[in-house]
Amino acid sequence: MPVLISLEEGQMAVVSGLTGGQRFVSRASAIGFTPGTPVTMMQNLGRGPVLVYLRDTQVALGRGEAAKVQVEGRGQ
Amino acid sequence: MTAKTADLPGQRTFTIALAGQPNTGKSTVFNQLTGARQHVGNWPGKTVEQKSGTYNYQGTAYHVVDLPGTYSLTANSLEETISRDFIIGEQPDAVIVLVDAAQLERTMYLLAEVLPLPASVIVALNMMDVAEQEGRRIDVQALEQRIGVPVVPMVAAKKLGVPELVETIHHLVTDRRECAPRIPDVGGTEGRALEQIKALIAGQIPAAYPTDWVAIKLLEGDTAIKSLVQKGSSPETWQKLEGIIGRNGDAALAVASARYTWIQQITREVVSHSARAGGDIRRGKFDKIATHPLWGIPLAILMMLVAFGIAMIIAMPVMMLAMSGLPVLIDATRQALTGAPAWLSALLADGLLPGVGMAMAFLGFLFGMFFAIGFVEDIGYLARVAFVGDRFMSRIGLHGKSFLPMITSLGCNVAGVLGSRVVDSWQQRMMTLVMAPIVPCLAVRGVTGFYGALFFGAGAPLVTVALLLTLIVWLAFTGFLFKRLFIKEEPGGLIMELPPYHKPNWRTIFRFTWGHTQSFIVRGMTLVAGASVVIWALSYLPHGDIETSVLGVAGRAVEPLGRLLGMDWRLMVALLASMASKEAALATLGVLYGLSSGVGTSSLTGLILGAEAIEHTAIATAIQASVSPASALAFVFAAFFSVPCLGTLGAIYSETKSWKWTLGATAYYTFAALLAGFLAYRVGLLVL
Repeated sequence: MPVLISLEEGQMAVVSGLTGGQRFVSRASAIGFTPGTPVTMMQNLGRGPVLVYLRDTQVALGRGEAAKVQVEGRGQ
Repeated sequence: MTAKTADLPGQRTFTIALAGQPNTGKSTVFNQLTGARQHVGNWPGKTVEQKSGTYNYQGTAYHVVDLPGTYSLTANSLEETISRDFIIGEQPDAVIVLVDAAQLERTMYLLAEVLPLPASVIVALNMMDVAEQEGRRIDVQALEQRIGVPVVPMVAAKKLGVPELVETIHHLVTDRRECAPRIPDVGGTEGRALEQIKALIAGQIPAAYPTDWVAIKLLEGDTAIKSLVQKGSSPETWQKLEGIIGRNGDAALAVASARYTWIQQITREVVSHSARAGGDIRRGKFDKIATHPLWGIPLAILMMLVAFGIAMIIAMPVMMLAMSGLPVLIDATRQALTGAPAWLSALLADGLLPGVGMAMAFLGFLFGMFFAIGFVEDIGYLARVAFVGDRFMSRIGLHGKSFLPMITSLGCNVAGVLGSRVVDSWQQRMMTLVMAPIVPCLAVRGVTGFYGALFFGAGAPLVTVALLLTLIVWLAFTGFLFKRLFIKEEPGGLIMELPPYHKPNWRTIFRFTWGHTQSFIVRGMTLVAGASVVIWALSYLPHGDIETSVLGVAGRAVEPLGRLLGMDWRLMVALLASMASKEAALATLGVLYGLSSGVGTSSLTGLILGAEAIEHTAIATAIQASVSPASALAFVFAAFFSVPCLGTLGAIYSETKSWKWTLGATAYYTFAALLAGFLAYRVGLLVL
């Protein structure tokens, strides 16, 4: 299953699931990462945190966190 | 609204809780409801700040409690636990939930969590103007019907909607109008498990907790609710419950999804988009630079330098006045008290006045720094600084948001400690608060450079490098240690909203600045004044001179400890003096090594606080003659790592409002100083 971190800048995808502990799932889902949510990669430089756009706002995610967000339907 | 806030006899005060996600304009609404009638304290038993205020409307008194800004009400953090415990435990007469009209979907999430709680809810739909600009039209009446609670459209920054909000609150609490919130059905997907849980916990939990809500929180794996239920139920029941929770490991995500589905059903009905809408995700040039891994850092540092400069400009007149006025005032006090007992004159002229005077002079600067911090937070830039700083901060166990206080600390530790309030998680905030003073401020760097040159001449740069390397190791170790000690949950990692930039709201920034300057005046200054008097008394009593004073005796008493560091009692006393302020530790040495004109008449506090100047080069030669290089190295290291200054301790107290934390931090810095001195001495003996 592809994860958020594999998206390149400008690519869009849809969140399909979250892996990781209860605390991460709870925090990430509260801020809007739930299955079916479209997400756009704004900044991904191969290292350091990434910047994504979802539910009308920009969200910064650590690389570790972005690797726990599963996505599908990758496209431009 | 009238200015009078006192309760009339027989009249009851209604309590209103204000909830909302971060960046929804909660503090603006709070300020507009309560104006100047605010009180800042801590939540009972916690070091998390609680803001409350009052207002009157139509003869009724209202007490507004500002809940911490959180995204949800699951016990992921102390803030979230505080919010929901207040709603459930204190049963406020109404709960206002702030929602951002321009980000309706995401900010309604908290509302979806509050609605199932036993509370009368009012939705304050803020930022209607932004929503409109972005082409979103919200049918307020339809929204009201759909969720079953009153909705008040607002543009809080422009004061629009505030009177309507006040009126709506009044109607809700005085008419006791039954409101029938439509509670989001989040059990759909996990329905069976939820029914089983409900059957098991029925009658087993405190009456204040709604069964449905507890059942959902259990399914979400909420730790606090788990232990609440475990306490109330038999081991067999709990075993069954644990089994159900364990079998539904994915339930947390399902429940969150169900909340968002409920929200989306509503927004689809009540929001109409014009052609322009659809979320403009292009970023401006400034934002690209601000979040750039290379350019973002210099930009953040430049911004803080500018802030520093502006703060200094604001502070200059006050500082100049204090610098020139203080000696005059001290002289005048001495003159006026010629007839009075000698100790009284010494207490005021040598103890209290210099300490408090310098702290007063400092206030202008702090005001400027607070203003700058409030400004970058208000316009939305702070989150960008946190974003670029995260990769450095995460290495020492801190959050990206700690980056701003830490770089501020490079200028001034007091400002760094006070700036730690931008960190919104309690644990990270406490860590930042204690760690910021470890960063050497401008004064510490200056004095250390001076000591280095004095004791080691051409070898000084090597000493500086050694200090910096030790500093990095110490920060990393402290981060690791504190994480072990204070952070009990699994690491949260970086998940942070970067809110859209918006125009500064001067009223909110000013309120922030004033509120925190005031807190420093009340708490910080008390500590500075108290400590100044204590240090004075220790160095004066019982015979009026330092050699035979309590401090001098104590210095000799700890000489065995000092020997471990290669430091005699005079260096130890000077180290203690360096806790009050770094700049004057050298001057203290001068007195102790008998170089000052009159040890008996000159006071240590006066020297420490820089009120009395001393010829530096003369001291230098004398000290060099009697202190070995290894001892000098130990002193430099110990002074570098010890308590930065009284002002910093005042700031820690002002921010935590807790003696436990203030004294704990002081003990930790003292320990660091002794350890660093000891190691430096041992290494010094080997290499010097």
